[in-house]
Amino acid sequence: MPDKPVPDNDPIVTKSYAAHYMIAVTLLTASLLWALWDEAFGMRPWKAYQHEWKQRYTAFLKSASSKSDVSQKEVEGSSDYQKLKQDLDQATQQATPHVRDLQKQIGDLSAKILAVQSVFTDRRAYVNALTYQIETNPSSKQSIQKDLDKYKAQTATVEYPDGSKQPYNFEQLEETYNSLKDQRAKLNAELGDTLKPVTQAKAALDEYVNDHMVDLTPAQIVGLEKKTEDLDPSIQQINVAEANIVDRCESCHMGAREPVKLTAASMSEKGAKAPDDFAKAFVSHPNPALLQVHDPDKFGCSPCHQGNGRATTSIEKAHGNYEHWLWPLYTKQNLEAGCQTCHAADMMLVSGDVGWTISKGKDLFRQRGCMGCHRYEGYDKEPEELQSLNQQIKQLEGERRDNTKQSAYLMKRADAAESNDEANKLNDEAVGLRVANSKIDGRLQQIDFRAHSLMQDAKKVGPNLKDARLKLNKNWIPVWLKKPSEFRPGTKMPNFRLTDAQIQAISAYIWQSGFTDSLPHQKPGNADHGKELFETRGCLACHSIGEGDDLQGGTFSANLTRVGEKANYDYLVRWIHNARERTRPYCPYEKKDIGPEDYAKKNLPYVFDLAHSKCPNDGHELQVQNMTVMPSLRLSVEDAQDIATYLLTQKKQEPSTYADASFMDDPKLKDEGQKWIRHYGCAGCHEISGMEDEGRIGTELTFEGSKPIERLDFALFTEGAERGKEPITNPEDLARLPEGPAKAPWYDHKGFFEHKLAEPEIYDKGMVKSETEALRMPNLHLAKDQVQALTTFLLGSQESGLPANYQYRPQDTRRDIQEGWWIVTKYNCVGCHQFFPGQDSSLMKMKKYQDADWKEQLPPKLYTEGARVNPEWLRRFLANPSLSDTDTNRNGVRAYLKVRMPTFSLSDDEQRKLVRFFQALSQQPLPYIPQSVPTLTSKETEMARSLFSSTAAPCLKCHATGDAQHDAHATAPNFLLAKERLKPDWVERWITDPQAISPGTSMPSGLFNHVNGQWVFAGPTPPSFQGYTQDHTKLLVDYIFQLTPEEQRRVASSMGRSTASNSAPASKKPSVGATRHALPHSGASAGGSR
Amino acid sequence: MKKSRLAILPLLALVGLLLLAGCNKKENTEQSSSAPASAPAAPTATPIDPATVGSISGAVKLDGAAPKPSKIDMSQDPACKGANEAETIVSDKGNLANVFVYVKDGLGSRTFDVPKDPVVLDQSGCRYHPHVLGVMAGQTVQIKNDDPTTHNIHPTPKDNREWNESQPPQAAPIEKNFAREEIMLPVKCNQHPWMKMYVNVVKSPFYAVTDKDGKYEIKGLPPGDYTIAFVHEKLGEQTQKVTVAPKESKTADQSFKAGGM
Amino acid sequence: MDWRQLWEISSAPDNVPIVGLIPLLAFYIYLAWKQAHANDQLITQLEADPAMAKTHHRKTWPFKPGWQKEVHVWPFLLRIEFLAAIIVTIILMIWSITLNAPLEEPANPNLTMNPAKAPWYFLGLQEMLVYFDPWIAGVVMPTLIIVGLMVIPYIDTNPMGSGYYTWKQRRFSISTFLFGFVILWIAMIIIGTFIRGPGWQWFWPGQTWDHNRLIYEVNRDLPDLFGIASNWGKAIFGAIVVGGYFALGGFAVFSLFRRYMPKDFARMSILQFSITQAFLLIMLALPLKMMLRLLWHIKYVWITPWFNV
Repeated sequence: MPDKPVPDNDPIVTKSYAAHYMIAVTLLTASLLWALWDEAFGMRPWKAYQHEWKQRYTAFLKSASSKSDVSQKEVEGSSDYQKLKQDLDQATQQATPHVRDLQKQIGDLSAKILAVQSVFTDRRAYVNALTYQIETNPSSKQSIQKDLDKYKAQTATVEYPDGSKQPYNFEQLEETYNSLKDQRAKLNAELGDTLKPVTQAKAALDEYVNDHMVDLTPAQIVGLEKKTEDLDPSIQQINVAEANIVDRCESCHMGAREPVKLTAASMSEKGAKAPDDFAKAFVSHPNPALLQVHDPDKFGCSPCHQGNGRATTSIEKAHGNYEHWLWPLYTKQNLEAGCQTCHAADMMLVSGDVGWTISKGKDLFRQRGCMGCHRYEGYDKEPEELQSLNQQIKQLEGERRDNTKQSAYLMKRADAAESNDEANKLNDEAVGLRVANSKIDGRLQQIDFRAHSLMQDAKKVGPNLKDARLKLNKNWIPVWLKKPSEFRPGTKMPNFRLTDAQIQAISAYIWQSGFTDSLPHQKPGNADHGKELFETRGCLACHSIGEGDDLQGGTFSANLTRVGEKANYDYLVRWIHNARERTRPYCPYEKKDIGPEDYAKKNLPYVFDLAHSKCPNDGHELQVQNMTVMPSLRLSVEDAQDIATYLLTQKKQEPSTYADASFMDDPKLKDEGQKWIRHYGCAGCHEISGMEDEGRIGTELTFEGSKPIERLDFALFTEGAERGKEPITNPEDLARLPEGPAKAPWYDHKGFFEHKLAEPEIYDKGMVKSETEALRMPNLHLAKDQVQALTTFLLGSQESGLPANYQYRPQDTRRDIQEGWWIVTKYNCVGCHQFFPGQDSSLMKMKKYQDADWKEQLPPKLYTEGARVNPEWLRRFLANPSLSDTDTNRNGVRAYLKVRMPTFSLSDDEQRKLVRFFQALSQQPLPYIPQSVPTLTSKETEMARSLFSSTAAPCLKCHATGDAQHDAHATAPNFLLAKERLKPDWVERWITDPQAISPGTSMPSGLFNHVNGQWVFAGPTPPSFQGYTQDHTKLLVDYIFQLTPEEQRRVASSMGRSTASNSAPASKKPSVGATRHALPHSGASAGGSR
Repeated sequence: MKKSRLAILPLLALVGLLLLAGCNKKENTEQSSSAPASAPAAPTATPIDPATVGSISGAVKLDGAAPKPSKIDMSQDPACKGANEAETIVSDKGNLANVFVYVKDGLGSRTFDVPKDPVVLDQSGCRYHPHVLGVMAGQTVQIKNDDPTTHNIHPTPKDNREWNESQPPQAAPIEKNFAREEIMLPVKCNQHPWMKMYVNVVKSPFYAVTDKDGKYEIKGLPPGDYTIAFVHEKLGEQTQKVTVAPKESKTADQSFKAGGM
Repeated sequence: MDWRQLWEISSAPDNVPIVGLIPLLAFYIYLAWKQAHANDQLITQLEADPAMAKTHHRKTWPFKPGWQKEVHVWPFLLRIEFLAAIIVTIILMIWSITLNAPLEEPANPNLTMNPAKAPWYFLGLQEMLVYFDPWIAGVVMPTLIIVGLMVIPYIDTNPMGSGYYTWKQRRFSISTFLFGFVILWIAMIIIGTFIRGPGWQWFWPGQTWDHNRLIYEVNRDLPDLFGIASNWGKAIFGAIVVGGYFALGGFAVFSLFRRYMPKDFARMSILQFSITQAFLLIMLALPLKMMLRLLWHIKYVWITPWFNV
């Protein structure tokens, strides 16, 4: 039997499904409503934002308008405003009566016109109709014509507004109508004329207000309010077809482009303790200046910020922070990665701005020698170019050979030819080939030049280890290799996790492969003087000394606190005297170091330098310089010895205390060592004999940022990363993570890079690997901010989908700037010079240079260098800053500065680039055509001289004259340089207001006053100036530009300077002497008049 | 992603319950992060009751022998007449002059209005008078040139804007002011390297410069606990805690070690 | 137990259907079974007394005076179907609101996802690929499945149990169906969804899907176990084993039929029976092969130059 009792009524028939239907239908309706809601709002969260935006922004504007009212009051308070206001009122008063009655007339006329019009138009319509008939059916032409005339003859009455009636026939009517209209037109024109002064005055007034109000004027704010008022919810979209950018970011970020400063605080609701999502979304773009350069309507948002510009359904989607979206929004910390999208070619992202994380990253990438192991487009390109040159050389030489053969063959055929014509033809061909050959020779010549300068430009991050034997304390090498940052915190040399065996092998190879040439023996110098030189000559612009808090100097190159423990005196002297001096030249074609024996074979003298850079064996370019950026300070050998002596006193322990490392002579270790050196790619940063053309061992990083995440090997930490586990345990390395130990999932590029940089071996953790399999990347012992900068750089290193013309690769002068920065940062010019306000050089930061007098010992600011100097002169100066071939132990322009402009022995190429760079930085055209300076009449010369020598005009007090005694006090360059060096127009600008060009220079402003259109000397002028109407400035400049030594001497003497200047020992020997005392009595000037 | 994941819950629940002809729905909530908002605190200035004000005075000594002031050779500019000595450490019988004394701390958030009349800095005999100058932030400094030669006035500040203006003989006085507080702001003349002086820009009117007897006095101080700072261009800064009772005139002496720098 | 992993798998939009499938399957099997049970009881009653049969014109309930003999499809059937339609609509709507299509990044030819899985309804086939040659798993097997389904009406000689739930009258067909559908099809889909992780490795539910996981296992062929080296030997040996399986299996099926369902057996023609037998054995072979592989790491049984089984 069925388990349930049988019901009385048939369940199938009687059972009611009402309840089921009830529920089902309600659910259905509910889900339907849900669907509708989802469609309208759920999938369109931005609507909520725009709604909020309306309210909050209006509120904000309200408060803003009250403020701006106040400030407007202030503006209106000013006399100028009052004056303009009066003008306006006057104009209006004058205009008003006339205007009023004009308007009246116009009004009446319009009424009349209306009256006539109503009648006229009606009749005209009829006439036109008839005319049409006449035109179309010629048959009944006449008859219709008659009607027409009749109709035209009929008069119609026009009733004017003033009640008067007037009968007109058609012609009259038409004429009246037209005349009336003409009248009105005239009146309108007249009205316009009468109103003109008023409108002008009004415009002037508004303009004044706009110009003088810092923030928006009330009027503008009202405009904004209006705009916000009638904003109706819709997707705000930037669509750039050519670049396939569709960004709807502004659908929520409504405030991004508002002309007012919106902060999360100012956009949060009244009394909200913390700004909510809305408030955060509504802030205006933090850097409006950027938006002006990168107009969002052309660039959109996503090219810089990334994220999913099209998505509008949720925050995660829009910001691209979801699985499968390959371009998630850049985080705050790495924001500037976006710049790399288009600015990959820039070393300095913004000329005239500092503190850019991305620029820092780029610089680090180069300074720390990352490109030694990792190829990166644009970095360290010289070697590659050199190789391609070699290719070309081979190919061209091949061609030449063929041509010779070919032409010989042709000539033979020519001689044997039947007809003369053919002979001539063949001969011509032959000749043609010979000419082609000479062209090829020319080309080869060029290539050699290029190679020459490339050879000069190619630098290595690390020192040349071929000199290891001559340079280093043998026992120190293994200690150093163990952990460089131990010996020298912050060194560029990273920590390779070398086993003792590896260390022994490597040091053995380096030792045994090093040069064994003998160095000239140097006699010891004076440490104290050395110290002084070291601290004043400018070594500290790049090098630092001291550790921790008492660290002084720049971080660009090595910290020399313990140099005494490692260095060999004789070598150090040579190095300081000229770091570029090489023990033996290297021939990249034979791949060997050329020694005296090679020269002897060709019985050539054993000299090699930039002038003698041809290989004795194959006549191609040699590497004749050490591949270091360290320049020569043109020190005398004695000075070099003094400095070296001083440096050798810099040590924490005696060199002799290092444990003996005689194993380095064990030849058995050599091969092993070479293996490991190759394995760790040491040759990427160092010159090591036998490994000159080792390839890079690392992966290319040009597009690392757009590598699929799966291609980044998180090894055993994939899960951990996805779940925000922190694998790094070593506290030292943990401290390197920009945002500290992971709290959130870090399975992304950012996380990978940060961890890799903080502890490169981390992805080996927990894995069992052999020595050769283990990750090779060394620990660069970076600081938090450095890791962040590099991460930013790498994140930005992406293959951009934008069209090529979005890449910032300008072809005009901006390119010169772009290229220039690469060189400027390469040689650390910014260590001494300021290129734009706000960029502090390493020297400026030093304690010493805080002192008022030393401040003026700072190297010149280069704010307007390009506008200041003659480019040709600049090139010569860069080539040889001493501006003299005989007396090189000095500064060319500012002999009075202790700090030296070093000789970088820049290649022609780099000289050219730098000159262009400076010219471009100050928008100077190239080539420079010197502006002709008028020769002065004897009278003018007389005047100029008298002014020059007057006590009131202090020119020669500070400016050097070449007279040793006087120059002891000189704090400014010699006028004689001006003709060659300066641009007259600049000088004129300069002397009128130096402070405007180089703030803080010791050349004072206010020397001249601008009195009714004429520049007049501020002080009492000599009588001869009576009635002189030209600019005094112009006069002086012209005078300076034709100043001769004799003239100068005359003026100087005429100033009746007493010669007793015992206060300056300097007067004994200007150059060396000047260095002998630490603090000059004369506050020498670095600001210097430039 | 997370959203849709969570959204599966109602779906699964629905499927399950529909089998039992029932139903329920869940809504997933949007979570919103929050950051602390900045709440600026308004400064409260308590007015000074002239009845209760006290004063601080005292003398500054230099123990140990003062270094012999080095003679300055002004021959390079004939227009500079008279003798001149370096004024780095001026000490007459151990009384240290040119020490700037001011109330460094203890005035709380009080603000003081800037006096209208300017402070005068005079150049005569190719030296500055005075050598150490006190001025309130924003107060006008009037610079005169009584010499027959051109000077230029070149302050090299840390926290103020740097400027450098030439002042020919008989030129109209230059009027400037310093907006921000700064102690021992060096001023110099590039044409007469020995010409140096120091401006001290302070926020309060409670400062003084010791005269050649090393004496100073600060008047009109409201009662309270103060930190008085004594600053010398070479010997550096020393501070002293002083409590001023109503109407009290305290003495606070201070001494610098010679060569303690 | 890695709950997070479990949640990530089961909450992935593409896996939701399968998550839903499991309870649904259980529920409907239960429902059907309940009905069948009731019917079977009734059947026994009716068979017991023929008189009762007369009074019973409708399922499960005895005749009651006043009850209609027939009821119309409209409304009595349609109203229920319509209700069902509504409920399905609701489910679909909510599903479509809450779950977006599982879209991923643009396909990248040099970067395939791991594990790369077929759509859920093909996971069974994909799973078979583990155990058979591609062409067997991908071509032969599906064909057999389809042919098998087509052949059913011709080999099903059992006239009873159509139109009502019953177990007693259709033991064979129902169990065959359950075996084929639940065990072979659904189970393999579930394995493919929840068990197969990166590298198509076997992860027990709640085990972390570790991309770096390496496991060592050697799969040998049956002949090798017996140390048969020569190809011919392998081929012959395999043929014998497989043949043996079919022979023995055939015999077993034959005797079981004769024993337990003589009626069906009697009704069948020899052709019908042999076809049934063949398909049944092939069906059974699949799980056997899987088990050989999973438990004893046996790769192939029968190796020939042309195909391996």
